[in-house]
Amino acid sequence: MSGFDKWLGHSAALLLALLWVLPLLFAIWTAIHPVAFEARFQLTAPLTTENFVKAWQAAPFARYFLNSFILVTSILLAQFVLCTLAAYAFARFRFPGRDFLFVLVLMQLLVMPDILIVENYKMIRALGLVDTIAAIALPYVASGFGVFLIRQAFMTVPSELDDAARVEGAGVLQVLWRVYVPLAKPIYLAYGLVSVSHHWNNFLWPLIVTNSEETRPVTVGLSIFASVDSGIEWAVINAATLMTSGPLLVAFLLFQRQFVQSFMRAGIK
Amino acid sequence: MFAKAIKSAALSAAVAICGALPAQATDLQFYFPVAVGGGAAETIEALTKDYMAQNPGISIDAVYAGSYQDTIAKVITAARGGNAPQLSVALSVDMFTLIDEDLIVPFDDFIKTDEDRAWLASFYPAFMENSQTGGKTYGIPFQRSTPVLYWNKEAFAAAGLDPNTPPATWEEMVEMGKKLVKKDENGNVTQWGVRIPTSGFPYWLFQGLSTQNDVILANSEGNKTNFDDPKVVEALEYLVSLSTEHGVMEPGIVEWGATPKAFFEGQTAMMWTTTGNLTNVRKNAPFDFGVGMLPANKRRGAPTGGGNFYLFKGTSQEQLAAAVDFIKWITEPEQSAKWTMATGYVAPRPATWDTPTMQAYAADFPAVLVARDQLEFAVAELSTYENQRVTRIFNDALAAAITGQKDAATALAEAQAQADAILAAYR
Repeated sequence: MSGFDKWLGHSAALLLALLWVLPLLFAIWTAIHPVAFEARFQLTAPLTTENFVKAWQAAPFARYFLNSFILVTSILLAQFVLCTLAAYAFARFRFPGRDFLFVLVLMQLLVMPDILIVENYKMIRALGLVDTIAAIALPYVASGFGVFLIRQAFMTVPSELDDAARVEGAGVLQVLWRVYVPLAKPIYLAYGLVSVSHHWNNFLWPLIVTNSEETRPVTVGLSIFASVDSGIEWAVINAATLMTSGPLLVAFLLFQRQFVQSFMRAGIK
Repeated sequence: MFAKAIKSAALSAAVAICGALPAQATDLQFYFPVAVGGGAAETIEALTKDYMAQNPGISIDAVYAGSYQDTIAKVITAARGGNAPQLSVALSVDMFTLIDEDLIVPFDDFIKTDEDRAWLASFYPAFMENSQTGGKTYGIPFQRSTPVLYWNKEAFAAAGLDPNTPPATWEEMVEMGKKLVKKDENGNVTQWGVRIPTSGFPYWLFQGLSTQNDVILANSEGNKTNFDDPKVVEALEYLVSLSTEHGVMEPGIVEWGATPKAFFEGQTAMMWTTTGNLTNVRKNAPFDFGVGMLPANKRRGAPTGGGNFYLFKGTSQEQLAAAVDFIKWITEPEQSAKWTMATGYVAPRPATWDTPTMQAYAADFPAVLVARDQLEFAVAELSTYENQRVTRIFNDALAAAITGQKDAATALAEAQAQADAILAAYR
């Protein structure tokens, strides 16, 4: 690669990065300055935390954060358990109807979750779980995407490793635990990130299936700022947005290297 | 590490499922949307608590349900899932949709005494147009609004206009607009004459223009539209001419959300927007401003907007009767006055305006009376069966004319044909 090519590549990357980060920078700008400086960019503009205070007081965010945290961790852990077992079966066992069943699982990827809302609601109501965190989580725990992804990872594990473990006397689940799961670690990490960010941001289903402060996630708290009839207060809404997306942003920055590597290996981009 | 993770996975999943709280045992469930800032949700919750304190036998679970669109999605899902709330606030224009889905019951069954009938007759007729059909009342007006004209008095004075006189007619709006337009040395406009937002739901403010041109957009049965009426075409041509011919309004689609800001920053000297903005403008406009009725053409006119109370099927008559009692209570002048002052919505009964609280408020801030006085000229907001599809067709036609892709007559004739195809089934 010549010097010019390199320079061109770098500046294109910088430009894209800048475009990507602009909305975030704007959100930070409006959130830490008084409302009057929303669209006036002066370096000397006074700083304020008032927007955050206002946003925090507009809804019971402490409780919402706890709910969101319980929600995403329980979904993630349930998904790991279910998808790992299903993926193992599809990848390494022969049983009648296996391919047909796998196609059925993949069909899930073609169905938009939104069109299932009424059916899901009926099911949750039949189970008596309306207005619980479990109700938000249940429709998502058997993830077709997760099964597919982990199955593909298990398929790439050399069968020699499997055989060697069996020769050492490992049982079926021990092989899964000691051979397959450790080798698929990057896939779990990548899938975990996708799952956590998706469920952290999910809005419509939680809003519909829950009614009380004790069960609602942060996105529902965020929605009260969308006051279209009276004009939108960008400063407060951006402060609230930063606050609610903050934990994910921080976690991503902390584990950035691992995530990027996992994504490269998992092939989700 | 993963062994631990998976063990704690199972554990916390179990904890989450067992530890989740059961649904509260309540007599009534009440869904409400929020479309304005300023603590609307807290006001509703506080009013509900007041009611429960006065009526110990009834407990009401007031559930925040997102925007108007989210609320209708939530309420329809819950009702189809066999778990409808007893009452909900939703857009008044969703009445036909809710009837079509067979989800709501009319209030008439609960109107028994003369006192009840007097209550039902005590709302502004303009608000009841969107609440009644086929001789029955399906909605009780609650958070209702109407668009008004806001103008910047300082900009008027600077342009040599009387700062206390807004335009009264379409011609005056154009003439004054021309005087108010300011350009910098490069010929770029720094201050427009007027701003009529057209993004998202342009039909609403356009309905102001069509009403002023003395034509209604849909019949009260909700099954016939008049989109291709020559007067509707004329109103749309006027709206388009504001930017193309007269140059007093920014060309193209004008954003709703950015409109109050543009007014505060002096990018426009007049704006048309909802009364829901009154409190916001009062708090944030850095200049002296005026609020007036929309200008007239053949007549004065404006649409109404906002939400009504609805009663849902699927629960006992006792619960519904209790719900009606609550609705009666919350629309009483004292409660209604609190609600209007907190949000800027137009109080839906004349009696509210006679309370000492409201009179004191109006004396301090006379602009709130403009919307009330305009109600005399207001008509029902466009509402039909299959409302979302029909208004989408109409919005697309308006946008096509505003952006210059089609002329007004063609766009509206096409919209009428499409609307006819949908509504023929309901005639």
